[in-house]
Amino acid sequence: MELRIKDLTKLYDDKLILDIEDFYLPEKTFLGIIGPNGAGKSTLAKIVANIEDASTGEVLYNGSSFTAELSKDMTLVFQKPYLLLTTVYHNISYPLQLRKVAKEEIHRRVMEIMEEMEILHLKDQKAWTLSGGEAQKVALARGLILKPSLLVLDEFTANIDPASMLILEKSIQNYHAKYSPTIIMVTHNLQQVQRLCSHLAYMNKGEIVESGEVDEIILNSQNPITQKFISGEIVV
Amino acid sequence: MKEILDGVINGFRLLFSLEPEVYGVIYLSLFVSLSSTIIAAILAIPTGIIIGTKEFFLKRSLVRSIYTMMSLPPVIVGLIVYLSISRKGPLGHLGLAFTPTAMVIAQAILVTPIITGILYNGTKEKGLEIKRVAKTLGANKLQTLILLIKELRFSIFTGIVSGFGRAISEVGAVMIVGGNIKGHTRVMTTTIAMLRSMGEYESAIAIGIVLLLLSFIINSILYHLQAD
Amino acid sequence: MFKFKITKVLFFMICLLFFATNFTGCIYFSVEQSSESSHSIDASSEAPSTPQESSIIILSTTTSTENSGLLDAILPIFRTDTGIEVKVVAVGTGQALKMGEDGEADVLLVHAQSSEEQFVANGHGVERYDVMYNDFILVGPKDDAAALSTEASADILKAFTLIRQKECKFISRGDDSGTHKTELKLWKEVGLEAGGAWYVEAGQGMGAVLQMASEMQGYTLTDRATYLSMKDDLDLKIVVEGDSKLFNQYGVIAVNPEKNDKINNEGAEKFIDWILSEKGQSLIGEFGKDTYGQSLFIPNAK
Repeated sequence: MELRIKDLTKLYDDKLILDIEDFYLPEKTFLGIIGPNGAGKSTLAKIVANIEDASTGEVLYNGSSFTAELSKDMTLVFQKPYLLLTTVYHNISYPLQLRKVAKEEIHRRVMEIMEEMEILHLKDQKAWTLSGGEAQKVALARGLILKPSLLVLDEFTANIDPASMLILEKSIQNYHAKYSPTIIMVTHNLQQVQRLCSHLAYMNKGEIVESGEVDEIILNSQNPITQKFISGEIVV
Repeated sequence: MKEILDGVINGFRLLFSLEPEVYGVIYLSLFVSLSSTIIAAILAIPTGIIIGTKEFFLKRSLVRSIYTMMSLPPVIVGLIVYLSISRKGPLGHLGLAFTPTAMVIAQAILVTPIITGILYNGTKEKGLEIKRVAKTLGANKLQTLILLIKELRFSIFTGIVSGFGRAISEVGAVMIVGGNIKGHTRVMTTTIAMLRSMGEYESAIAIGIVLLLLSFIINSILYHLQAD
Repeated sequence: MFKFKITKVLFFMICLLFFATNFTGCIYFSVEQSSESSHSIDASSEAPSTPQESSIIILSTTTSTENSGLLDAILPIFRTDTGIEVKVVAVGTGQALKMGEDGEADVLLVHAQSSEEQFVANGHGVERYDVMYNDFILVGPKDDAAALSTEASADILKAFTLIRQKECKFISRGDDSGTHKTELKLWKEVGLEAGGAWYVEAGQGMGAVLQMASEMQGYTLTDRATYLSMKDDLDLKIVVEGDSKLFNQYGVIAVNPEKNDKINNEGAEKFIDWILSEKGQSLIGEFGKDTYGQSLFIPNAK
């Protein structure tokens, strides 16, 4: 899915927290968004995933405005996942149930993704008994199972143990390799961007300061703020 | 103290006495309180969820008044309902005074704010999050509502149990609007009040025991229903 | 599995019962305690000169004496005269007698002569004295569908017979009160069975029953005092009055002090002496004259 963000602003209590004139994201891109706290990264992610509304401007998906049909083809994974008050299995199968997929098909796909994310042993466990890492794996599995063409990840590995983080990252990589969706990942972690992303956007005070391919920006940034960040002078 | 012990024994005796009058009183209590709780739940569950998930003008004042109404004195509600349905009242032509219908109305008014308040509280904490998850996973409006109800089932259960507890145990409102008429509007609590005024403490305690047992059974059934 | 659940439920029920009995027990106990402690506090702070025991008495009486305002009118004068404070517990005659039987009250002022005499005969009370009487009246809807006010204006038995024949709506107190007992006695005297859709058993106090009678446009037997005090709010009129069968004698009884050592017999005797005295009797006779133009209670102590 290709994205174009046009004249997008967001106001909270008359304070401008997001202001993006024009930003284009070709399809199949894996974009990492990085920047200090309060830069507007999460807000942008939520607006792109249509969880929040923009104050002005809009996001165009494959050249057209948002429709209800589109919402079935995109998802967002939060930093703190909300799991339904039921078993792991039913959490992961829920999006497919919404789409009225046949029962056998649901079962096959849920088992497949649980195996891939190494959570098969949690199948019948109640969601509220899971650890942070386990819960995030379930949340990601629940997002990936509906095979979205647009996946938004909002600091989805913050406060996750390293072993779980590795599995989460590997699943994302596999998914990207297999289905070539557009992925937007908000993170604090530059190494994670280098590990996963093809493109990088640096945000500051509600604006996208600089964007481009990851290696190009890291090696040859044109913007003084980004340069400072890459050299470690700005801690995010 | 002797009255209490004898009352406990008589409570069990009453429950199995096969006396039609006792069963009539028990049946009416259950009928009135369950009906009012069901009506209140139908009104209050969507209301509580909407207030909990939406922002609107004067929301804070509304929430505060709901919390206040959670502790409405039953006698006041009874009096207001009575004055509206009595012959001189605005709804006098309906002829509802001293009928079970009037008792259901009064109790529904008592119970609705309780369920609304509890639902609002539960929704306030998790409602937005649930709505967001439903949205990210592609649920439509109806599916979102179903998910909200499913996810808030503990609040709904708590609300219904508290509401029913309030209804079955209150005496002020049903006494005023129902009138404690034998065989017609006499329920367990008004029987207890009447027996007390007659100095028959034992029988009053006995009915009280029956009331406790019934509350226990109803709550057990509700608990069973909400547990997976 | 099923078996296990049943035992679990039973266990809970038993726990619940224990809880219930303990809980009610506690309430009962604490009420006793608190009334006890308030005795001594009031005694020491308000009437230091009189001995502690005689400074407060508990008067158990019927709702009619309290609701009519009689006690509010005369008790402050009693207090000025004797320094004794009267705590009034206004309940039905049944409960008032029960309180006496349990030794929860010091003195009773009630109106169910035969029960009172039985009470004394059973050793619960010291002696019974006539104090005053008021009268019952039969009130009914203003249109008086059964035409009682023309057919039986001073004949209560005939009025009851007519009500029964025409099956007019009749609201009974149904609460074992003195008024209820009088009503039942009248049905017995006319030899008719009261029951059926027309006969409404309210199980409530006089005020509530008058409201109901007004609301349902039915007949009811009431004491004159309660009726007069509520008359303006009621859609009712007097249909039968003046029959000697409707006179309602009040008696005063001191509770047998041997019941327990909390009973203030000295105070109770003082109260009885005072209410039977010329002063007490004339106060009773004056009461209500300025508001209703007639006495609500007619003193008749011997």
